[in-house]
Amino acid sequence: MGMIFLGLRNLLRNKSRLALIVVLIGAPFFLLLAMQSIGEAVDQQTAEMNRSVNTVLQLRARGSMGHVNMSNQDRLLPDSVVEKVRAIDHVIQVEPYLLAMSPTTLPNFAMHVGLAPAAVKRLESHGESGNPRIIAGREFTPEDAGQDVAIIGQGYAEWAGIKPEDIGKATFTADPTRTHPVIYGINRPKRTLRIIGMYASGYVFGDLQMFIPIDTFRSIYGIEHGFSWVFVQADSVDNVAAIAQRLQETVGDVADILAPKSAAVFTATTSRTVIQLAGAGGVAALVLMIVVVFFVLLMQVRERAREIGTLKAIGASNGGVTIQFLTEAIAFTVLGGLLGVVVFQLLGEAITARLFSLGIGSFLPSQYKPLFDSLSVSSHVSGSVLVLVVAVAVFAAVIGSSYGVWQAIKLSPLEAMKDE
Amino acid sequence: MNSALIELRGVSKSYRKGGETIDAIADIDLEVQETGMVAVVGPSGSGKSTLLHMLGAMDRPTRGEINVAGQVVNRLSQGELTRFRRQTVGFVFQTFNLIPNLTALENVALPMEFNGVSKAARLKRAKSLLERFQLGPRLKHRPRELSGGEMQRVAIARAVANEPRLVLADEPTGNLDSRSGQIIYEVLREISRERTVIVVTHAEDLARLADRVIHIRDGRLLDAPPMPGLPLDRNELHFVQQRAI
Repeated sequence: MGMIFLGLRNLLRNKSRLALIVVLIGAPFFLLLAMQSIGEAVDQQTAEMNRSVNTVLQLRARGSMGHVNMSNQDRLLPDSVVEKVRAIDHVIQVEPYLLAMSPTTLPNFAMHVGLAPAAVKRLESHGESGNPRIIAGREFTPEDAGQDVAIIGQGYAEWAGIKPEDIGKATFTADPTRTHPVIYGINRPKRTLRIIGMYASGYVFGDLQMFIPIDTFRSIYGIEHGFSWVFVQADSVDNVAAIAQRLQETVGDVADILAPKSAAVFTATTSRTVIQLAGAGGVAALVLMIVVVFFVLLMQVRERAREIGTLKAIGASNGGVTIQFLTEAIAFTVLGGLLGVVVFQLLGEAITARLFSLGIGSFLPSQYKPLFDSLSVSSHVSGSVLVLVVAVAVFAAVIGSSYGVWQAIKLSPLEAMKDE
Repeated sequence: MNSALIELRGVSKSYRKGGETIDAIADIDLEVQETGMVAVVGPSGSGKSTLLHMLGAMDRPTRGEINVAGQVVNRLSQGELTRFRRQTVGFVFQTFNLIPNLTALENVALPMEFNGVSKAARLKRAKSLLERFQLGPRLKHRPRELSGGEMQRVAIARAVANEPRLVLADEPTGNLDSRSGQIIYEVLREISRERTVIVVTHAEDLARLADRVIHIRDGRLLDAPPMPGLPLDRNELHFVQQRAI
């Protein structure tokens, strides 16, 4: 029979009380599952948003735009910066750029960008949006490194008289000697580049750029060392702030660091707040469970004091009494947990969404609320969640019943004699 | 002559109540022999239940020494006390104290389980005991389905399940009608042939069935009991020491 079996049989002494207790424990379990589900949905939503959030930091020489022919803005980052940046944890990509300005119809100008063929083609004024759409010709290949080739923006191409259908045959002559009110000439020979592709960015200035393999750029402008900009890609939005800090420590003496503040602020304020609120709700549910178990067990011990005394008088050990009451407590919480799981699967999506909008949504900064309108809360209960439910049930039972069990252990066999 | 199963030397039990010390048991010396039925009689509050509790290691004396079956019970550790209650002593309560959600058979088998008896052996012995006490048809009944007399017989079967050398019964007929009470006393008489049975009772007519009667008043053992009609051989009081009130 065993004290475990005795404990399980005790559950059925009063079936209506059992039902009430299971409902009382099931309700916080439902809340726990709802909070877990909200946390999971927010995690997914955040991961989704993080994918589209800028995780690229930009380095420039201190106080300089880093354009090789721009008056007073031509200081470059030293070569050593790249290796130092590559050594920082959570940095997954380092892409050095060289930039030169080239006059078009005054007072306008275009930008010549030197970069590795495989690097993201970022637009100067929209650094976060990379790789504009190729509308004619092709992308760079590794074989283009050091070759006299270029990919041109459609606005710059129009100014130069290059049509999309000419791509592949058309050429563009880069002339470093040309000047502009803010551009000084570099005494270097002209270089004719074959235009292998044309892109469209959707931005007027974005389309006034021309991408050139970086070694070719160095050769055209006579720049043997240094970089205009270095783009640093973090592995996650969560690490942007830490990388910015490390960059400051490592190369802050020579570089200005431009970190995407919006990403860090977003992560810090919104996602974490929601997840913390969901976590707090989960903790509240757990505490509620423990409180229910606490009072139920205390009531059981008080009601059954004479029976506990009798068990001790006929030879039950304190360990046996503990096992009996723990079994009852665990059975209550596991049954409550299962009820919570069943109700959650039936009604979870509707109730959780409502719970989110009423309980958590109201705490969000107003600018972020629309981001969570599409929050997809699932009532699916996975195997791992079931394991979590059982673990929480056992935890709540052990913690909640400990005082009651202690009271039972303290009872003397003399209790068996009371009311006699 | 049987050897003494129980020896009490200078046993006292005092309580503090409202700043006042109450002597429930005062300096008692007592020997009780192996086997036979001993009735402890006395008015309410005389200390007879306290004496029974101390004999069963449910309560400890304030002073003195209690030796039961070679064990000084007031010096036993918690674990030893549990073992003592499992193996040496059986209890019969006035209100039966059966576990309500267990059958008669399971109630009787329970102390044997605590004592590590195998399931087959304990069920066999529990069945045999219940049949011996004319409860064969009630094996699967729960306490609420039994009469008072039947419940007390189940409780007696439970008390002797582990074959203890001592059975302590506190007012075992207190909640029974006279006919059921008579049956219970006969059962207790029967089991006392194999062990010592100490019965606390108010019922003097039932006490007359005992092999020995101990009178107690104000926590002290009395001299020759005023029990008219009690046969001399059952009226032999084994006081080592007693103090007149």
